[in-house]
Amino acid sequence: MPNDLPLAEQTPIVETPVAPASASSWLDNERVLGWGSVALVILVWEITTRATGVSPLYLPRPTQIVVALFGMFATGELHKDLLVTLWRIFVGFGIAIFVGTALGIWIATSVRVRAIADMFIAMLYPLPKVTLIPLLIIWLGTGGPFMLTISFLGAIFPIVINTVLGVRQCDPGLVLAARDLGATPQQIVRRVLLPSAIPSIFAGIRLGLGVSIILVVAAEMVVGKLGLGARLYLSGQILETEQVFAVLIVLATLGIVVTKVQDFIDVKLGRWRLA
Amino acid sequence: MSAAVAIEVEGLGLTFASQSEAPTIALQDVNCRFEPGKVTALIGPSGCGKSTLLQIARGFLNPTRGRLRFVEIASGKVAERPAMATVWQAFNLFPWLTVIENVAFGLELAGVPRAERDARARKAILAVDLNGFENKFPRQLSGGMRQRVGIARALVMEPEVLLLDEPFGALDAQTRLVLQEQLSKLVETSGTTAILVTHSIEEAILLADKIIVMSARPGRVCDQINVTLPRPRSYATTHEPEYAALFDRIYGQLRDEVMQAMIIESGGG
Ligand SMILES: Nc1ncnc2c1ncn2[C@@H]1O[C@H](COP(=O)(O)OP(=O)(O)OP(=O)(O)O)[C@@H](O)[C@H]1O
Ligand SMILES: [Mg+2]
Repeated sequence: MPNDLPLAEQTPIVETPVAPASASSWLDNERVLGWGSVALVILVWEITTRATGVSPLYLPRPTQIVVALFGMFATGELHKDLLVTLWRIFVGFGIAIFVGTALGIWIATSVRVRAIADMFIAMLYPLPKVTLIPLLIIWLGTGGPFMLTISFLGAIFPIVINTVLGVRQCDPGLVLAARDLGATPQQIVRRVLLPSAIPSIFAGIRLGLGVSIILVVAAEMVVGKLGLGARLYLSGQILETEQVFAVLIVLATLGIVVTKVQDFIDVKLGRWRLA
Repeated sequence: MSAAVAIEVEGLGLTFASQSEAPTIALQDVNCRFEPGKVTALIGPSGCGKSTLLQIARGFLNPTRGRLRFVEIASGKVAERPAMATVWQAFNLFPWLTVIENVAFGLELAGVPRAERDARARKAILAVDLNGFENKFPRQLSGGMRQRVGIARALVMEPEVLLLDEPFGALDAQTRLVLQEQLSKLVETSGTTAILVTHSIEEAILLADKIIVMSARPGRVCDQINVTLPRPRSYATTHEPEYAALFDRIYGQLRDEVMQAMIIESGGG
């Protein structure tokens, strides 16, 4: 069948510009340019703080921050804070993934449930979740249940909303085809609606994790004695500015790691992306 | 395969109710019969209810009037709904499944053990000449290959009735010709009863034993023609005088109906 050849493996449409092979070509390298400018800013920072002799209370030198960072890890206090914060984020977030996906599918497949849920989502979703912290403290205190709830609340809305969206965008032709092949309603949900909503659900999970991290750190700043947020706040209170920066570096690194892991999962899920 | 089952359609009507607009009468008093082991083509203007008729046969829609029955030829008794499978104009392959996973999907849903369903799926893939592409995803295939997956996915279920809703409507003319020949061989060897919805008179004549011509909406049967051209038919068949006569007869009826349909669509009906 000559006119019926397979399409080549997904050729990318976007062409990446080819770097000219000149001496200045390293300047065209995005990686070099990106890391180089970060290094430059740190260098300028180090030199100007040394030269001007500005108080480390306001702006510590990068070298001082690195020393503080290692010091905090050496005493083990930062490990502990990091683990506590991670635990708080991921327990609530993990529950939100399951509850949110299940709830999303239920809302998307039942007209009645959707009518009810739409109202609650419309009222609760626009509310900045940090504003719930005082109320949740009154109800739950400041312990584990509070942290779990705040992380859960941060993640659940984007996950539910994106799941609903993903399921509703499923090609009705696929549902018909599955029915034609003998799928029960339950099989249609598990074998058609869910997989076709996967990209959208992952987008929701991504957004949700971001909100969870923000909320848990913010809650720790308000109530905590433990956790990165608490460490950040307490360090600020006693004007340990290097420690404040050290915690910020840990938080930024956490953000980068989370993003990279999600990017990796997205690539692995590439086969879900439609033609 | 169980006893031969014919499909009898009597006084069949279906009206789609609508809250905002006037109800759509998709089918009105349709009477026809689909013979077991034969290919029957349904041809008619766009919107005349061909897909609706297939959906009623498949059991996905209930008629508002009349009935569609399955009748056992030997005893003349009403039979259960036979095993059916559909080939779709838009292919409707699951994009996250490979070719073999798509083909084996229905067997998997039915709980057929892995080894057996793999073997059956491979046989079906071989039958549509797609061996070597088992582990490709649909997006890696051309349109013609995708529809061959669609055909394999339906035939692997060993349907007693095969529903084809404009299976080649989305393909170019050359691919179409090749697939038509392939399909007609497959249907012949499987002995399945087939209903083929098409907009192509040529396709209807080359593939069908009987052609049902439908009117513009509301859809009714305006002609039933037996095609007695010898098989196997191929492109050469189109040069036969009988082919020309059939073509003219169908075209004459369709022309009027299509004009009528265009008037309906532009708001005149
Ligand atoms: N679910 C539905 N609700 C309301 N109206 C419908 C529905 N499905 C089909 N119709 C209408 O019923 C009529 C017949 O539709 P059908 O899809 O059966 O036509 P068709 O003959 O298959 O057309 P085509 O050749 O374009 O595929 C059309 O006017 C269509 O708009
Ligand atoms: Mg149709």
